[in-house]
Amino acid sequence: MSQISRKVGGLRNLIFIGILLVLVLIIFLDIYLIDQILDPFEYFYLFFAILLIFYVLYPLYTNRRLTKYYWDRTRKHRLSLFGLAFILLLVAVALFGPLFTDDPTKVNFDEKNRPPLGFSIQQSIYDVNSGQFVTTEYPGTWQHPLGTDDKGRDMLAMLISGARVSLQVGLLASMIAIFIGSILGVLSAYFGGWVDMALMRFTDIMMTFPFFLLLVFIIFIFGPSLVFIILVIGLTGWTGTARLVRSEALSLRTREFIMASKSLGASDTRIIFRHLIPNVMSSIIVIATLSVPGVILAEAALSFIGLGDPTVASWGLILNAGQRSLDTAWWVAVEPGFMLFLTVLAFNFLGDGIRDAFDPRSQL
Amino acid sequence: MNNTVLQISHLKTYFFTRGGVVKAVDDISFGLRKGESLCLVGESGCGKSTVALSVLRLVDSPPGKIVGGEIRYHDEDLLRSSGKRLRQIRGNRIAMIFQDPQSSLNPVFTVGYQIAEQIKLHLGLRHKPAMERTLYLMKQVGIPSAEDRLKDYPHQFSGGMKQRVMIAAALSCEPEILIADEPTTALDTTVKAQILDILRDSKEERNMSILFITHDLGTVAGFADRIVVMYGGRLAEAGTTYDIYDRPKHPYTQGLISCLPRISNRKDRLTPIPGTIPSLIDPPEGCIFHPRCERRMPICSQERPPEVIISGEHIAACHLYS
Repeated sequence: MSQISRKVGGLRNLIFIGILLVLVLIIFLDIYLIDQILDPFEYFYLFFAILLIFYVLYPLYTNRRLTKYYWDRTRKHRLSLFGLAFILLLVAVALFGPLFTDDPTKVNFDEKNRPPLGFSIQQSIYDVNSGQFVTTEYPGTWQHPLGTDDKGRDMLAMLISGARVSLQVGLLASMIAIFIGSILGVLSAYFGGWVDMALMRFTDIMMTFPFFLLLVFIIFIFGPSLVFIILVIGLTGWTGTARLVRSEALSLRTREFIMASKSLGASDTRIIFRHLIPNVMSSIIVIATLSVPGVILAEAALSFIGLGDPTVASWGLILNAGQRSLDTAWWVAVEPGFMLFLTVLAFNFLGDGIRDAFDPRSQL
Repeated sequence: MNNTVLQISHLKTYFFTRGGVVKAVDDISFGLRKGESLCLVGESGCGKSTVALSVLRLVDSPPGKIVGGEIRYHDEDLLRSSGKRLRQIRGNRIAMIFQDPQSSLNPVFTVGYQIAEQIKLHLGLRHKPAMERTLYLMKQVGIPSAEDRLKDYPHQFSGGMKQRVMIAAALSCEPEILIADEPTTALDTTVKAQILDILRDSKEERNMSILFITHDLGTVAGFADRIVVMYGGRLAEAGTTYDIYDRPKHPYTQGLISCLPRISNRKDRLTPIPGTIPSLIDPPEGCIFHPRCERRMPICSQERPPEVIISGEHIAACHLYS
């Protein structure tokens, strides 16, 4: 036991690998024996929850001094705290909101185009009895606090479901991109020579690759699905990260402590994972936070132009539906737009805060 | 002699750069005996560090390449060892400390962790005994209140303390050979003396051999058993400390000695060696030192001087004695 745990670098990693194996086992069980224990996305969530607990929360808990230091530095950045609060709220709403709201796909034409609470619109209805148009007041109700769209679907429920989609896409796709980018960047910098050459030229090719075309192509073959959108954004969006991580790792590689650990008998893998990656980690975290809003916007843009998954109510999709009825029901387009605006802003603020907290040169 | 632990023979390490081939180490041979401290002395860029890096096969390649020769550690030629075997030797049997302690430690880990890392890796100890050993080593190299400092990060240490930490890490597996690549250059004079004391004490305690690399003849006078003087990637003169300081034969060594300020010598000016070191891409023909040599002869620009035995272990590569 201790032999194995030393090989993977500690008991924590061993437990982590164990839990991952269990997860994989459940997935196989799901595929081959019992259908649909969990949604495919829920596996992703589980995976990230485990990752978060093992490699973010637990170290932060055990290393209180460092946690306090980072917290103090982040706290001085007032806006980033707002960002963090908003994101936490959004995550909570996305996780638990659907339990309390209506089904976002429930269509009810009696309740169509109801304005949000506190607003009302004039509506002309043809009265069959009198044979005349009667103008009536059509106010917002508590039943639909954010109004309904032209099919009578509850906006609040749709926005919450959209939050789920945006966070899914934003977190998963940027996680994939950051992971690939960091690994390739570090490898390229550490080994140099032809490895560097090959990986960086590959990055160049990926940079010029029209990912939009790839997406259209994939959607044409497999049909529009959120999973493919996430994969395509993730698998094509790592190039900037790879470049940045490479440049950081290049300057680290020539530092003497790398030579020193080599002279003390460390292997390449050890140097990469124990010495290079921890040293570029702060930049990786910052890039990750700052790349999330871009990905969220990309997904919204794709949904807006109709390349998104039509079965899930994403903000981009609602926005697209809303812009057609902008003159009669402005809230359908404005609400998801506002949410997108706030979410992107929140991630950007948080990213700025984290960058300042991690940069020892910036004096706050 | 049979108690030689490290024998370097005809080592050639070249750097293949865009401007041409730099012969950083060109056919150098010397041996390191058990329990001895051997000093490799020379100007900046004469290839001393390259010799040290070649021993552990740490020369950056490309552009560097060990072109020829043999580095014999006991009965094993390190130039032919596998990568795995080399990793076992590095840190465990042959350890190295570097010039700049400021950047020799990884800034994101505590120093205790970094020393313990080597111990766990090479000696296979568990975390707790490894930490105990780390504490013992840190005390031994004279780090005050070592228990508290174990959990400190490198930026919380001063330069001298960092170099002590590096020495502790290097000593962690009781190496047979310690290569010290200008370990005192970045430190001030008092700290320099302390570090030399620590190195001397640990050497004596462990019967360890030290290959000490420096450009400063003054530093090593009381420390070295033998001295090898290098010039332009080649051996200029080798001998016991006494030979080199009192009876330098090679004009270059004589020049170096006369550069040293002496209390007994009431001269106003020191005598420098004229000229600068030659480019190693296109070195002068014959003896590489001849353009700067005051006693050059016609043959010096034609033939590479042989290594002449002056007496016992005293060797000088100069035509004056052949």
